[in-house]
Amino acid sequence: MNILSIVSGKGGVGKTTVSANLSRGLRQQGLRVLSIDLDPQNGLRLHFNVSARSLGGLSRATLEGENWRNCVVQGGLGDSVLPYGMVNEDDRMDFEQVLRNNPNLLREQLERMELHKDTIVVIDTPPGASVYLSQALNAANAALTVLLPDAASYATLPKISSLIHKHCLIRPDFYSSKYLINQVDRIKQLSGDITDLLQAQFGQDSVWVIHQDQAIPEAFASSRVLSEYDAYCRGTHDFNQCVLKTQQLFDLSDLKETV
Amino acid sequence: MSIESSMTSVTARLTRLVRGISYSKFWNYSVLRVISTLFVLCLFGVVVTVPLGMVEQGIFGVVIFLIATKIKNLPWGRGGILIMMSLSLVLTFRYLYWRFTETLNFETVLDACFGYTLLSAELYGFLCLILGYVQTAWPLERKSVVITTPMSEWPSVDVLIPTYNESLDVVKLTVLAALTLDWPADKLRVYLLDDGRREDFKQFAQDSGAIYLTRDNNLHAKAGNLNAALAKTNGDFVAIFDCDHIATRSFLQITMGSFLKDPKLAMVQTPHYFFSPDPFERNLKTFRVIPNEGELFYGLVQDGNDVWNASFFCGSCAVLRRAPLEEVGGVAVETVTEDAHTALKLSRRGYNMAYLAIPQAAGLATENLASHIGQRIRWARGMAQIFRVDNPLLGRGLTLGQRLCYVNAMLHFFYGLPRLIFLTAPFAYLFFGAHVFSASTMMVVVYALPPICLASITNSTIQGKFRHSFWNEVYETVLAWYITRPVLLAMINPKSGLFNVTAKGGIIEKEYYDFKIAAPYVILLLMNFVGLAFCLVDVTFGHGERLTALVNGLWVLYNTIILSASAFVANESKQIRQTPRVTADLNVMITKSNGRTLMCQTSDFSRSGLGLKVPANVDMSWWDIGEQVNVSMFRGEKESVFPGRVSKSGKTIGIFFKEDMSLDQRKEFAMMTFGRADTWARMWGKSEVDKPLASFKEVIAFGAGNIVQLVRNGLRRS
Repeated sequence: MNILSIVSGKGGVGKTTVSANLSRGLRQQGLRVLSIDLDPQNGLRLHFNVSARSLGGLSRATLEGENWRNCVVQGGLGDSVLPYGMVNEDDRMDFEQVLRNNPNLLREQLERMELHKDTIVVIDTPPGASVYLSQALNAANAALTVLLPDAASYATLPKISSLIHKHCLIRPDFYSSKYLINQVDRIKQLSGDITDLLQAQFGQDSVWVIHQDQAIPEAFASSRVLSEYDAYCRGTHDFNQCVLKTQQLFDLSDLKETV
Repeated sequence: MSIESSMTSVTARLTRLVRGISYSKFWNYSVLRVISTLFVLCLFGVVVTVPLGMVEQGIFGVVIFLIATKIKNLPWGRGGILIMMSLSLVLTFRYLYWRFTETLNFETVLDACFGYTLLSAELYGFLCLILGYVQTAWPLERKSVVITTPMSEWPSVDVLIPTYNESLDVVKLTVLAALTLDWPADKLRVYLLDDGRREDFKQFAQDSGAIYLTRDNNLHAKAGNLNAALAKTNGDFVAIFDCDHIATRSFLQITMGSFLKDPKLAMVQTPHYFFSPDPFERNLKTFRVIPNEGELFYGLVQDGNDVWNASFFCGSCAVLRRAPLEEVGGVAVETVTEDAHTALKLSRRGYNMAYLAIPQAAGLATENLASHIGQRIRWARGMAQIFRVDNPLLGRGLTLGQRLCYVNAMLHFFYGLPRLIFLTAPFAYLFFGAHVFSASTMMVVVYALPPICLASITNSTIQGKFRHSFWNEVYETVLAWYITRPVLLAMINPKSGLFNVTAKGGIIEKEYYDFKIAAPYVILLLMNFVGLAFCLVDVTFGHGERLTALVNGLWVLYNTIILSASAFVANESKQIRQTPRVTADLNVMITKSNGRTLMCQTSDFSRSGLGLKVPANVDMSWWDIGEQVNVSMFRGEKESVFPGRVSKSGKTIGIFFKEDMSLDQRKEFAMMTFGRADTWARMWGKSEVDKPLASFKEVIAFGAGNIVQLVRNGLRRS
């Protein structure tokens, strides 16, 4: 099992979009992928065309002591998704209390699911420090911090870095921490400068880039896979690069699904 | 099986032997070299002078020719080529010996006149053949020297870009590319030397960071312009670029290492590479298919010169050390080929010269045949001037190899008259019944044909991918008429006036046939047709000399083929694009104004735009003409964005950049395109290796096509 946690210090950076496209790209490479939505907004399912009527998810399953396996749903396009689930406020607070009591709950639950050893688990989290973020970081083998090329995102970096340091870097099963700059636009001076700055700071290999591309929101709006919506757009190209880098991260070449 | 394997083992052993001898340390000892040369010369004398009957000579010629063709296909490297050259010389000298001893007993004055005229043309041909063999015996294939000196000790370089009347659009890119050369900024200065004294040039230089220099006269044209700049600058080295030669960023990195290694080195020359087709290539449609006229010189001749320390300065794309250049009084002004003359002067002072066959700059070829011929006339005239005023055979300071290479470079331009003699020689018999040989036709055939064929395949082997067989004849034939007179005049009076052939420049809007330029060939061609008719009559109703008529007829036929292909060059084809395009597949990304993007590759680029290869299934309606787009280009991880608009839609998309692109953006664009270190090197020497027969067929096809075209044009005119 290879756990990749997608995190951010600030909302609205496109974290869920990145999670969904990355998951899908990995699956297109023939890898086993499970996308987990650890965000109470329960929005990831929308990216996978999971019917809005399904209410179940990992939050209710945890409270009811059920194995998370049973809540995995197949998206309209064949992806395996584990939604957060629809819960009322009391249940959500109860669930968060459970998470607070057991900082390794996520990891334990994942182990109980008995996934294939090569599976990549992509975990989407809510922005900023939260009990969910702590869980995701405690479970992660690798963390991907998503940010925008602007000052606000840049300002949140020290905080998120210190959390990654606290939860991940001390663990021997944590491989590495990467950064993904979303919506880079070289026409804008600031956008280019921040990208260059981060690449200089963390190294070319540690900073991944997704460029501004209207095809990405358009594909989402029309419920289509980006690479099919526009095979030659820059977004497709960039996500392919990120998929490749993720595979390298976990040392997984294109293993074909056998089941 | 056993015979076959023993044959291959004999071949393999021979190959080892030849390679062993070619690369042996034996040759390092001059005494041994002299002894073996004398020994070989004795044998050579015997082989050349031994008398043989017609049949024996025929057999000897054919056997030698067959041996040479066998060697051509063996992996014997330079050794094999040297053996082929030697065999070629054996047959050639046998012919010469026979020619002088047996064929000059002319019966009439007319015979003697035609006979000696042909003989002198032949002698010129032999001299060029021998000098050519010496020159290309062992091309040096010099490699670039990596600079190991710490950067703080690198010398300073002044880049000089002379201009007179060229358009600013052309000059801009050259200056911007020079400004981005990979060299410490405090040691690189770029000078725009404007003999046109134009205000917009001055403004552009100021804005871009180049230094504008001008003078109050235009004495000695380019040479004078450069010398005036030398007096006002002080860098340790000067790099010289014609104002349309765009340098790659790596130019100085590639060339300067040699200077740091050899303190006596005065010059490093790199090839002149052209990214637009010359008139031959454009009108014959041979661009990037058949090696062009210049490729032989920069691909082989200069490299061959280099082994003799005799590669010479060609006026652009070169670096010179300032001190020696000033020592010889700057760039030479006595002749119109100031570059070669300057090199000769430097060689006389004992400085070393180097040639690096790595294209590190590219420029525009001549735009039409008239201006092409004008340029060659200048070269021919200048070389003849040097031959007169500073003959490399005379004077001090040169090695024998240098003298021979320089002489060959100059003699090369004397081909005009001999070429015209060869093109008209068969008429002596067909029209006037003169016998240019006092020998039987069969004897002429057995003595002359094998050396001609052998020289042809030897040169084909040497020149390989840099010149295709028979195209040489086409190139020379076109220029022959035009360079004959200036060369002869320059020989008589080296200071005689200028010949002005106006360069029309710009675009050729409509295909047209330049009858004025083609007239000499059309007349020669008509004469050849008449000659063929005479020959037919002679062969059919002849009285005893049918063989002679037939041989002369075949000669005329060959001349007809070459002439008809040559005359085709005057068919000026349409040239629509004002900015020539460079074929290249670079990764680019297009962003439309609606935020959508496309990753694709270029098909070509020019100084004002790009052509894109768009994947087959991309929706074409996307790219409306006039649509505003941003183009991202990449160099390593670096991305630069240029604003433009769609100028052409369909199978390929054309993008024009906005006129108001800033100078910084233009500089970036130059770096991303013309300035890439590998842009030209990738295309260098990529032509097919010569296949003489296929090449001959090509020439015939061009010739036949031309005759049809000529007749059609002629009809349209009348």
